[in-house]
Amino acid sequence: MMDLLRVAWTFLWLSFLCIGGGLGIVPEIERQAVSAHQWITSREFVDAYTIAQLTPGPNMKIAAFIGYAARGPLGALVAAVAMFVPPAILTALVSQHWGRFRGRPWARASERTLAAIGMGLMAGGCYTLARSAIHDVPSGAIAVGAALVMMTGRVSPLPVVLAAGLVGWLLP
Amino acid sequence: MTRPSLARLTAVFGWIGLASLGGGRSAYFHDALVVRLRWLRDEEFLQDLAVSQVMPGPNFSNLAVALGHRLRGYPGAACALVALVLPGGLLFLALAISLREGVAPGAAHVLAGMGAAVVGLILVMTWRILRVGLRGRVGVLLAAGTFLAVGPLRLPTYVGIAAMIVLGLWLNRPRASEALTPRGADCQREQDGQREQE
Repeated sequence: MMDLLRVAWTFLWLSFLCIGGGLGIVPEIERQAVSAHQWITSREFVDAYTIAQLTPGPNMKIAAFIGYAARGPLGALVAAVAMFVPPAILTALVSQHWGRFRGRPWARASERTLAAIGMGLMAGGCYTLARSAIHDVPSGAIAVGAALVMMTGRVSPLPVVLAAGLVGWLLP
Repeated sequence: MTRPSLARLTAVFGWIGLASLGGGRSAYFHDALVVRLRWLRDEEFLQDLAVSQVMPGPNFSNLAVALGHRLRGYPGAACALVALVLPGGLLFLALAISLREGVAPGAAHVLAGMGAAVVGLILVMTWRILRVGLRGRVGVLLAAGTFLAVGPLRLPTYVGIAAMIVLGLWLNRPRASEALTPRGADCQREQDGQREQE
């Protein structure tokens, strides 16, 4: 029971730190799930994030996997509910009134501030994932190659990631 | 503007959830709800997009909730959330758990390659968002400070966010000139419109 409460509480407060997209709280999720509570390993975290990226829907479904690792199917459900439902309720409540608030000076200041912080958080998420996923020359080369292919803007992400999986399998 | 039934809303949002692989996902909603189905006008969509980005929580599901709420109230918001998260979530869990249990030998190498590629992809996507979205010295300062705090310095994220919110609100505080002249507000609104169109 304590485990379940711990899972619920962790993902509840994580969900409220999530500004500007799920990538932004990747560093904190990793710290909580890997270092603080040791629900999963660093490797499992990167693998799960990779699979989350490859499957449809929001990436923060990774919460369900961590909950599962901590406490089985019930843990998965609790983690997903804690991650998605409270912010959803807040969003539904605020969206009704946003039209009126939006023009106010302090609403504008908040919007600008949160947008900038959200972008800094995304960059921090990239940093954390890079640190966990890139550990030798081949993995670094795959990351650089994938980035170069993406920058051409001609290929969608899915085939790039699948091709990299093939490369990873062929390399010793 | 027609407003959909709950069943139709659930079906459409579920389909968008399943179709939305990779980056730029809010565009899927715009394409389906504004362009093809004409359930919403552009301004309505952009307003919900702004709400979803300011509110804490996973952006993509928050956007679904705001749109679902606009279309069908609280039941619409609930259906939108479940429809968006559940199908992909179950698929993800099935895959992630089976790989964790070691169902597929050799999967570790495949996943290591794919994980490295994902890092490359999100670097490019993040760079694109920063290039378009990061405006002004204050914005760059706040983003850089946040990055340093949660990235290399490994501070707890709430510490970084709290410090930057205080600093940001102070640096972005409404100036008397901006608040008092209605023209200033209008200019600002036009700039906003342009930013959103990008």
